[in-house]
Amino acid sequence: MTTEMTPVQRERFQAQQAFFKRPSFLIQVALVIGLILVPLVPSFRVMDMMAKIMIFSIVVASYDLILGYTGLLSFAHAMFFGIGAYSMALLCYHLGSPQWHHLILATIVALAMSVVLALILAFFSLRTKAIFFAMLSLALADFFHILGRSWRNLTLGEDGVTFSLPGILNVQGQGFSLFGLNISPRTMTYYLVLVVSVALFIFLVRFVGSPVGRVLQAIRDNEQRSTALGFKTFPHQIYSIVFGSSISSMGGILFALWLRYVDPESVLGVFSMVDYLLMVIIGGLGTMYGSIIGAAFFITVQTWLPDLLRGIAANFPDYEIIQRMADRWMAYFGVMFVVVILVFPKGIVGTVQKIIRRRRMASFK
Amino acid sequence: MGQYRWESDLAKAPVIETKDLTIRFGGNVAVNTVNLQFEEYSLKSIIGPNGAGKTTLFNLISGQYKPTSGQVIFDGQDITGLDPATRTKLGIGRSFQLTNIFSTLSVLENVRLALQSKADVGMVFWRHWRSYFKLEDQAYELLKQVLLEDRWADEANTLTHGEKRKLEIAILLGLDPKVLLLDEPTAGMSIEEVPAILKIIQNIKAARKRTILLVEHKFDMIMNVSDSIAVLKDGRLICDDVPEAVSCNPEVMEAYLGGGMKYG
Repeated sequence: MTTEMTPVQRERFQAQQAFFKRPSFLIQVALVIGLILVPLVPSFRVMDMMAKIMIFSIVVASYDLILGYTGLLSFAHAMFFGIGAYSMALLCYHLGSPQWHHLILATIVALAMSVVLALILAFFSLRTKAIFFAMLSLALADFFHILGRSWRNLTLGEDGVTFSLPGILNVQGQGFSLFGLNISPRTMTYYLVLVVSVALFIFLVRFVGSPVGRVLQAIRDNEQRSTALGFKTFPHQIYSIVFGSSISSMGGILFALWLRYVDPESVLGVFSMVDYLLMVIIGGLGTMYGSIIGAAFFITVQTWLPDLLRGIAANFPDYEIIQRMADRWMAYFGVMFVVVILVFPKGIVGTVQKIIRRRRMASFK
Repeated sequence: MGQYRWESDLAKAPVIETKDLTIRFGGNVAVNTVNLQFEEYSLKSIIGPNGAGKTTLFNLISGQYKPTSGQVIFDGQDITGLDPATRTKLGIGRSFQLTNIFSTLSVLENVRLALQSKADVGMVFWRHWRSYFKLEDQAYELLKQVLLEDRWADEANTLTHGEKRKLEIAILLGLDPKVLLLDEPTAGMSIEEVPAILKIIQNIKAARKRTILLVEHKFDMIMNVSDSIAVLKDGRLICDDVPEAVSCNPEVMEAYLGGGMKYG
């Protein structure tokens, strides 16, 4: 730089220079290394929890793309998740002994269905008002939920579908040995989930950081101003819904791979939308990384809080009231949620990011 | 002032032309068979009492409304059927009467988005927005032009009203439009803030790269900066002439300045 840099150039220069030294980057690297090492913990429960956190981080992050970055309230996100899960389960179940190409076929089917349904949803509702999008997505999601319960020949109804996976992912198999460590089929599935979710998360972060991602935020903030700048609302919203929904169905595929069992209530239920909303709000709308925090918080509490309460209650066997209080773990979760929102009005990541950004920018005035 | 009057004597084709432009809202004819020509690099002001249809005429030109009948011609091309986003791409940039910015985004980002639109980056999702660093630098230059560079890193909703209007003009300049539609740029401003905006408008005009359309209430301000003034009343064009002639026009005095009201 021969001439003096403007504050904007100084800020950008510093941001580029320090990228690999930035705390956020180091935290991400540490997180991935930590996730790789999780199977060393001799507890299936921990691995199960971490796998679910990864899967739901992706689902919630893609929900954040639609809700937080694009400003559209979709109730069909669980539906897309269910479509992914069911295409994996049904193809592996109905097509005879599981083969690798069933997995690929399931991915293609899930993606194709998500794209088509997302387009239908968008074309029928978004031309008018955003509220119709919410209504139509709710109707469509409920339709698929009923379909999952009632089309017994295909989906086995509320009994759910139990299926097995091919090759080294098959839990009946022996797994293999690597550097003296026994890698079980479970562990292999865990690593598959890990690789796919990290890849999808990176894709989502890139997406919202791209020029299109910036325009999405502009449209969310002020649609009239955006069109007056020459950005067309409709194609951008379609972009976001199609990508967000497809990634949600990828999350569904991972979920089915991990559990090898799907049932309508857990993957298609409209009520799981409430969980997604809680997770995305705890982490912070429009932050992406918040979805990891939100999913981790929610699933950790969901896994350990009932145990914790039961453990406490076991110490007071004579007090009926404490026994009863221990059963209602959702009530304590509700209190925790309210406290988090009071302390972090923009979600955990959203609030922290805002403070960091303000401090950083103050030095470039 | 009118020092650029010679320009219109060259009989150039107008940049924007409205032909019998009419819009009805139910029984109310908001704009009634308005024929106007806007010459290149000129500054035309549109005045008229409240409800005369000034902003509606603006919305028709920028595409927010579709006319009931009549045409809008831009650069010899009929743009009546085009949506606002397409018209912006063609080169018609507008500001709004009520401040209209991206309030949760940073000041710089507001201008950068306009530049991104102009640069036609398109639906790119595989590159990072920061890799288009020229846009950021240009945005900063534009903020300098409107004397807002000190606030570049702030969130736009922390600006004062006057600063927001300046930001709007910077956003418009970022679009690099051939035609600037300014809808009451000084509305709601304190008296100390007005000269700064006026200076910015005069600078744009003096650069002689853009045609400016101005809707304004402050008559003395218009008199000084306009090449010509169009007067609307009840949706009809009653006068379109140089400022000196307009201020002497008895019909205008009656319609707009009448009732014992003095301009200034």
